[in-house]
Formats: sequence, structure tokens, C-alpha cells
Amino acid sequence: MTGPRDLNAQIESLVNRLRRRQVVGSWSVSLETALLLRQVVSVARWNQVNVLINLVKDVGGKLVMAQPRELAVGNIVRRVLRLIRDVYNSEVSNSNTNLTSTSEEVEDDDKDYEDDNMIKSPPQKSKTYDLQSYSGPGSIISSSFFSSSASMINLLGDGSVSGKEASLDYDRNLLNSFFFLHLKPTIISELQELINELENMYVNIADQAMEHIHSNEIIMTVGKSRTVEMFLKTAAKKRKFSIVVAETSPKYLGHEMALSLSQAGIDTTVISDSAIFAVMSRVNKVIMGTHAVLANGGLISVSGTQMVATAAKHHSTPVVVCTGLYKLSPLYPYDEDSFNDLVAPDPVMSFDEGELIDKVTILNPYYDYVSPELVSLFITNTGGHPPSYLYRLINENYDPEDTVI
Amino acid sequence: MAPTTKSTGKNIEAETALQAVVLADSFNERFRPITLDMPRCLLPLCNTPLIEYTLECLAVAGVQEVYILCRAHSEKIKNYISTSKWNRSHSPFKIIPIVTPEARSIGDVLRELDAKQLISSDFILISGDVVSNIHLDKILDAHRTRKNIDKNLIMTMVVKEASPFHRTRSLGESSIFVLDGKTQECVHYESAELYPHKRNMIMDMEVFEKHSNVQIRNDFVDCQIDICSIEVLALFTENFDYQDIRKDFVYGILTSDLLGKTIYCHIVKDAYAARVRDLQTYDAISKDVLSRWTYPIVPDSNLQEGDSYEYMRGQIYKEQNVSLSRSCVLGEKVIIGSGTEIAENVKITNSVIGRRVNIGPNVKIDGAYIWDNVTINANCSISRSILANNVVLEENVIVNKGCLLSYNVIIGPKITLPSYTKLTRHKQNLDYDDYDTKDKEDKEINQLLHAQNIKLVKDNQKDDSYDIKLIGENGKGHIWNDETSDVEDDDEAKNIKVTTLAYDLSNLSFTDDESTASVISEGSSDEESDSDEPSNLEIFSKEVAQTVERAFSEGHTIEIASLELNTLRMASNTSFRDTRIVVIPSILNQINTDKLLASTKDVLTRWGPLIGKLVHSKDDQTDALFTLQKYCAKTDINSKIFAPSLRTLYEIDVIEEDAILEWYYDERSKGGVGKPEIYSKIHDVIAPFVKWLEEAEEENSEEDDE
Repeated sequence: MTGPRDLNAQIESLVNRLRRRQVVGSWSVSLETALLLRQVVSVARWNQVNVLINLVKDVGGKLVMAQPRELAVGNIVRRVLRLIRDVYNSEVSNSNTNLTSTSEEVEDDDKDYEDDNMIKSPPQKSKTYDLQSYSGPGSIISSSFFSSSASMINLLGDGSVSGKEASLDYDRNLLNSFFFLHLKPTIISELQELINELENMYVNIADQAMEHIHSNEIIMTVGKSRTVEMFLKTAAKKRKFSIVVAETSPKYLGHEMALSLSQAGIDTTVISDSAIFAVMSRVNKVIMGTHAVLANGGLISVSGTQMVATAAKHHSTPVVVCTGLYKLSPLYPYDEDSFNDLVAPDPVMSFDEGELIDKVTILNPYYDYVSPELVSLFITNTGGHPPSYLYRLINENYDPEDTVI
Repeated sequence: MAPTTKSTGKNIEAETALQAVVLADSFNERFRPITLDMPRCLLPLCNTPLIEYTLECLAVAGVQEVYILCRAHSEKIKNYISTSKWNRSHSPFKIIPIVTPEARSIGDVLRELDAKQLISSDFILISGDVVSNIHLDKILDAHRTRKNIDKNLIMTMVVKEASPFHRTRSLGESSIFVLDGKTQECVHYESAELYPHKRNMIMDMEVFEKHSNVQIRNDFVDCQIDICSIEVLALFTENFDYQDIRKDFVYGILTSDLLGKTIYCHIVKDAYAARVRDLQTYDAISKDVLSRWTYPIVPDSNLQEGDSYEYMRGQIYKEQNVSLSRSCVLGEKVIIGSGTEIAENVKITNSVIGRRVNIGPNVKIDGAYIWDNVTINANCSISRSILANNVVLEENVIVNKGCLLSYNVIIGPKITLPSYTKLTRHKQNLDYDDYDTKDKEDKEINQLLHAQNIKLVKDNQKDDSYDIKLIGENGKGHIWNDETSDVEDDDEAKNIKVTTLAYDLSNLSFTDDESTASVISEGSSDEESDSDEPSNLEIFSKEVAQTVERAFSEGHTIEIASLELNTLRMASNTSFRDTRIVVIPSILNQINTDKLLASTKDVLTRWGPLIGKLVHSKDDQTDALFTLQKYCAKTDINSKIFAPSLRTLYEIDVIEEDAILEWYYDERSKGGVGKPEIYSKIHDVIAPFVKWLEEAEEENSEEDDE
């Protein structure tokens, strides 16, 4: 296993590569983040769960700061944090259900805790155990931790809760380390599951293709998205349909997409972006990818998407967005600009137009914000969801405490 | 995960580590006087030291070893590198500074590098002031594939297309590349400067015989990034006279029949690369960074540790902890570093504001580069200038375009700095070095020429004597004149001129609408002119007179004045003599006849070099003396000017003693056409001086004999 110094170097290396944009694309960024965090969990020395959470938050914060526009980084960090909390909580409740000789107070606490996962138990509760040495933050973690350690002490027959504090502390530490020794492999295996989920994501989404694409449909897509590509290619194995690809200037990602699709034997037509509205009336369905999905169901997606979505709305054509769950972010678009990225104006106007570029300001936003009412359905690796259901997905996957990293 | 990069890096270069050589010295002085304190590669561009852009580019390319070659300020560069993130354990490459204090040119540096035997394979040679988002690894791959086809390939030059007069192109120096249309092999290279306009270029016929498709291209920005084979260093060692990598090396290799080595160009289409060659490109590249041409190397990527820039609408970049007043207005393309405070009613457009800058109320800033810790007090106005670290502008200071205020300069209050003023806390050494060596001579001459009346003005020998008139009561700073002593011809001076900040090309084809009645015109009309077109000459004389007048009133430097005169002269196709005939009297007109001696000394010390710019040979000097005499012979008062002015011109080396002697023994000097008695009087006044000159010469020759 690698030492902590090595770990720091790995963190810095990923931070720098994110900054330099040597890792691009939400998927590879997510995967790298997840792998790094697995490394953090396994290498770092921790004997309290909030230490681990703070550590992950710390590393995550660095990664997010390195590339704030790549929302997937933050999403993965939040997923990992949630995962740690969940593993911890289930361990605690497991150990609690095994208890035979628990004090009533502890039971009460556990009930409170199990009734409402999210609510912080008031700090006084932990103080009832007279654990001054630990009476730090009154968060759910610390309090449930206290209860667990207390209950485990009880379990082992050392029932004298108050009194010989010094020896008790020592015992507790010893027990903690046993407890967390057990916790670590569980967290790591859960993390591995997350990584597997990421790796199988494309297939999982593509598997749903048959439910959404029917024979002889005309489908429009925009930009180049690996998810959509796989989705369409899977459908094309069994069904015959045609695809209209908007070229998506100024990057012309649509050209690449069209090439790839036509090579797979799908009937593909490339149209210029200005023809999107005209063609829309004949289109049965719009299927597209996205860079990120925000808390309200809005999309941060390659520029040109907004135009497609609006045209689809006008013609009441359903808009289906294929996205992995890792692109779902709990952030809310208070300022649409803040998630956008302005890239080099090269493709809009050539740099050698010396006299012009001196006098003209050229902006080349990479993304569009598409509001949620323009989207009909999200197809994620966990199934199809309407935009109005996203709040539920967010609650399932992220802890509200982690929204700000 | 981290190890993946390392492994991919190894895939690119399986056998040996990829090496890069960074030239951290530019071997020119375009950034003087700022570079007296700080090497160019550490100067901030958009609040980030220039070398960071270069290293960032190398990091992206997957370089594993970087050699930094430094000469001037090597300690500062070494310190910077050792404390930077590049020296940490997670740095993508090993960074090794090499100091070459004796090197006089890029050639010397590379020869020294060759001697050290550090480079083991193909390497990237890059200047320490290149801003680029190019993926060099791809170019490196292209270089290798080309090398497989053409075994003689030793170098790939990276160039970027840009139309003429593109802002990122250096006006002063550019180059013409002749390429094979198919392979992009560079078959001929010619450096081209703005002055003199290059009208012809000699190419070998062989070029056309060997290549069916030849392109002559003048639309490249030379990025100063080269992929070199290891032979390049050896070739530099073999040809010890190669100085510059382009003018000497590339030209030499391509014109040599014996070597048979080839050089290719790599034309960059969709990435950005440019080198900060001079102040003009500094300005342009800053703008390119702010308008995101260099993406992802933009301020809000926060590539530096501790950076916290955020992008706001209108290409405004603001770091955290910036306090903006409610009424201040930020226009387009503004970047503001942390800790900066901006007071009420401040207007900022197109500018870079460093960290911890204090800007007082009602200040207007346009196109300025304000570095860290600058204080600008109320009601100042700055346009298109550079203010280095710790500069203080007191209240009501106006800094006109093209000014360069080096570290720690203080200006004001209530001062208007003329355009293109360069100020520094350092004194320009050259002048008084000359004084010291000449001291003895001075004394002797003084005795001869009314010694008691003439006092040598030695302001600049006193320590804290600043020109209060120019920089204000509380001001601290010395004027810096660009050294042109080692610059051979006016064309070069012009080329340097156009590289300064905020220099408009329109200034070159200068015309003046204000036709003020010229005093000099009568002087020039007296001249017997052998020109066929007197009208043309008259117009020319008038314009010259106006130019000189303006130089006096606006306090231009000698270089600017001579540049303008030369432009005029070339435009109207007249001789140096015609210019002299107008310029000499105008300068002498500046002399205050009440304090004759002192003011003669003052005026000629200041403006004498301008005459110097117009004389090139002994004959010219003699001729100038006749012009001088003619002016002095007009009135009695004028005649008194002659001796002191001759002496001053002699002192500042504009007129040499041979010329004086020749003039003295010329019959025409003894009696002119108009007023013979004054002429002979002038002639006689000078007799003791001539006698002294002759004696001095004899002594010298005697000494030599011994």
C-alpha cells in the first residue's frame, strides 16, 4: 500500500491535471475522482468517522476548486461522503440491534436516529453520556458515534458509564479502532461498487434503449455524447430508424457524432443548426446528452442545445436526456453564467484576422443552460425519471450537509 | 489515478526522459528599465510571472526534465524556481536551473549546454516568455514521424498564422519563411524588419529545382518554440560564430551546401502561441489572455497556487478580497488581483490591476498594466502605460500613453508625464562614466574657454537630485533614455521604437496640421539651395522645423526626434545636409542669450546628440560647422554662441577634432560672402582652441613615438 506522502502527490497530480484540463469529460473525471477517493479512504489513517469525512471533504474541496465547471467532480465527492455516512449508520444500527443489555437512553437515541436519518441530534444527548472528552460537534455523526461506542461498551459488559473516565477513554479508543477496522473494508467495497457503477453506466443506460426508440422513428440529436451514441447504437441493433444530427457549430461535434453513427449503419442526416426548427416538425423525438443536470432539472449542455429544446417545445416533440446519475448535481442555477465556460474564440473567428480581433470582442460559450420545463424525460442508469422527480434522486444520493463542499 | 499519467508519459517517450530547455534570458533590452530590477521571464503578465506560462505549457506536454538557462538576475530566477510548485514532489517534471554568466548570446548559452552533455535526445527549445496552449506532445510526435521519413531533419519550428499588422506580431522583427508546400519543409529563412523595408531577397535556384511547390510566407508569428534534435547543440558548437537561433542558425543551416540538414515548420492552426518579445507584444498578449484566446490558460483557471480568479460578464476577472466602491465602473477586459481597493468614481477599462493596489477616487485607467502594491491617489489618469511594483502616483498625476514606470518610482503631485517617458530609480550610468574619464580634459578646456563662466552640469552625480519639474515635488525617479550608442543605424532605432508600448503606426507617417509660423523658415530660405525643386525643399524645411519645435516643446527624447526627422527626410527624399541646415539653427535658437554660456551648454548637451544623428562622416561634421558658423555670423549676439557651442559639440563627440581643424584651415571659414568681418572674428575666437587641439594631438603623437 502506498504511503500518505505518495497519496498527497497523487492528489496534487490530479488537481493539476484537472486544472490543466488534461483530464476532460465528465465520465473520466468522475472515474478518476472515485479512484482517488478510494485511495484516500484506504491509505489515510482515521479512527473516527468524522475525521474520514473531513478528510474526504478536504480532498474533494481541492478537486472541486481545481475545476469548478466540472460538476461531476463535486457529485462524486458527495456520493462518496453519503456512502461513508450510510455505511457507518448501517454498521451502527447493526451493532445496536445486536445489543442485549443496552441502557434505555441509548435505545431512545437510536430510535430518534433511525426515525429520521437526516436530523441532527441535539448535542445535549451526547452529553448525557458524560463524554466530555468527545463533546465536540453535535452532528449526527458524532452523536451516533458516541451512542455506538457507549453501547458497545455496554455490550462488552463494561457498564459503568460514569465514573472511571480515564480507563473508560482508553477502552473506548481500543474499541473504536476495532470498530473502524471493520468499517474500512466495507466502505472500500461500497466505493468499488460506485466505481463499477460508473464503468457499467453506458451499458446500463443503453439497455433501456428499446423502450424508447421504435421502428421508423425520426430522432434528432445534438452534439456528441458517448451515452447517446451507445444508446442509439444499441437500439439500432434491433430497430430501424433514422437520425438527424444538428452539426452544433462552432465546435461541429455533430459531424463526429454523425460519422460514428453512420459507421454503425444507422441512417444519418446532418443538418446545419439553422435548419433545426424547420426539421423539427418531422422529428418524433429528441434524444440528447448533457454535461450536467442541476437540482431543478435544468441542463448544462453543449451550446446549441437550448435552441433544439425550444424548437422541440414549440412542436411538442418530447425531449429525452440520456445521462448517468453522476451528472446529477445538487447545485441550483441561481446564476446561469456561473456554470458556463467561455473557451477560446478560435472556432468563431480565426486568430489570423488581425485587424478584426483587435476591435471585436468574441465570446464563445461552451455550454447552454436549458430550463427544466423543456425536458420531458431523463434516462439514467437507474431508469427513466421526469424532471420533477429529480429532487428525490438528489435526496437519495447526496446528503444535504454536503451540498457545499 | 495518478500513476496513469506517468505511464502514458513513458509511452510517448519510451527510451529516455523528455527534455526541455527554457531560455530565461532574452539577450536584448527591450524591457529596460524594468529589467534592471527583474528578469523578463519573471515579469507578470495578467498577474502571473511569464515563465509560469511556459512551464505550464511544458507540463501539459508531459516533459520530464526542464533545464532553465539564465544569465542576468540568475539568483532571482533560481530563488523563484526553488520556491515554486515546480520544485515540489508532485511537480510533473524535474527542474534544473543552469547559470551561464559569461554568455553573450543564445548561441553561447547553447554551446555551454552542449559542453555539459545534459541533453540525451530530441528536446524542446523554448523561450522563457512564451504564452501558449499548444499541445507540444503532438508536435513532438509529428517531428518524430517526419524524422523517420527525412533522416536529415534536425529541427521543427513552431509557427502560427497571423495577418500582417496583427497585434500579436512584433512590428519590429518578423520573418519570412519559404516552405515546401507539401511537406512544410523550411527551405529558406529571411529575417525581416520593419526598417528598412525589405525589397528583395536572394534565394538559391536550387530551392526551386528541388521543390515543385514553394510557398513564400510572411504571415507567420514565430512562436519561438523549436523541437530540436541533439545535433542542433553540436552544430552550435561547431559554428562558434552563430549567435541568434533564427538569423544565424536557421539561415546558416539552410544556406549551407555542405551540411545537408533540413528544418521543418509546424503550422499551428487551432492553438495559441506567442512570445512576449517587446512591450508591444506584451500588450497584445495580455489582451489575448483576457479575451481567452489562450484557453485553458486563462486567469479563472487559477493555475497558480493561491489564485482565486472568477470570471464575470464582460471579460472581467476578479480575485477574492477585492473591494470595489459602488460607483466605480469596470469596462471590458479588466483583471483585478486580490487585496485591491478601488474608490468611488473610478473608471477602469482594458487594464490589468495587480494585487494590493490602492486606487483613489476619480481615477481613470485605460489600457494600463498596474503591477502589485501600486498606490494611485485621487484624480489621476493613466493610459496605455506600465506601472511596476510599488509605484506611487500622488494626486492629480496624468500619465500619458507609452510610459514605463519601473519599480518604486514616485510621481507627483500635479504632474503630467509626457508620452513614452521611461522612469526608473536607477541612474543611467553611461553618461557620467564618460564624464569621469574626461574630467581632466574638461578642466583644460574650461581654462581655455572662459573657465570661470562654464560650470559643468553634473546633476546626475548627486544622489538624490531628481528632475522636480518632470516628476513633481515628492517624485523619485530618473529618466531613462534608451541606449542607442551601440545601435548602428537609424533603422534599428526605428525598429526598437515601434516595439514600445502603445506605439501607433500612424506616428511614423507623421504629419502636422498645426502650421505654426516657423522661425526657422527664414533661416532656411537664406540658404543657397542647389535643389531643382525649391518648393519641395521649402515644405520639407518647414516640416523639419516644426518637428524640431515640437521636440523642444514636448521634451521628446533624441531617439524620437531623430526617428521623426528621418521619416521626414526619407519621405521627401532629401539629404542629411538639408536636414542639418534646418536643425542646427533651430537648436541654437533655443539658447537663451542672457545666460549665454550656461544655456549653450544646457541646450547642446540635451540636443547636441540630435545633430550627432545627422552627421556621419568627417565631411558631414565640417559641413555642420559651416552651418553653425553661418548661423552665428548673422548677428553679433549669435557670434558669441559659436565658441561655447563648438566646445560642447566637441565634448559630446558630435564634432571631432579633425573636422574642426579641417574647417579651421578651410578658406571659406575665414571670410564668408555676407559679413566677412564677423566670419573672421568667429574664426579668430576659435584660434586658441584649435591651437590647444593641435598641441594635444602633437603630445599624443609624441607619446606614441616614444
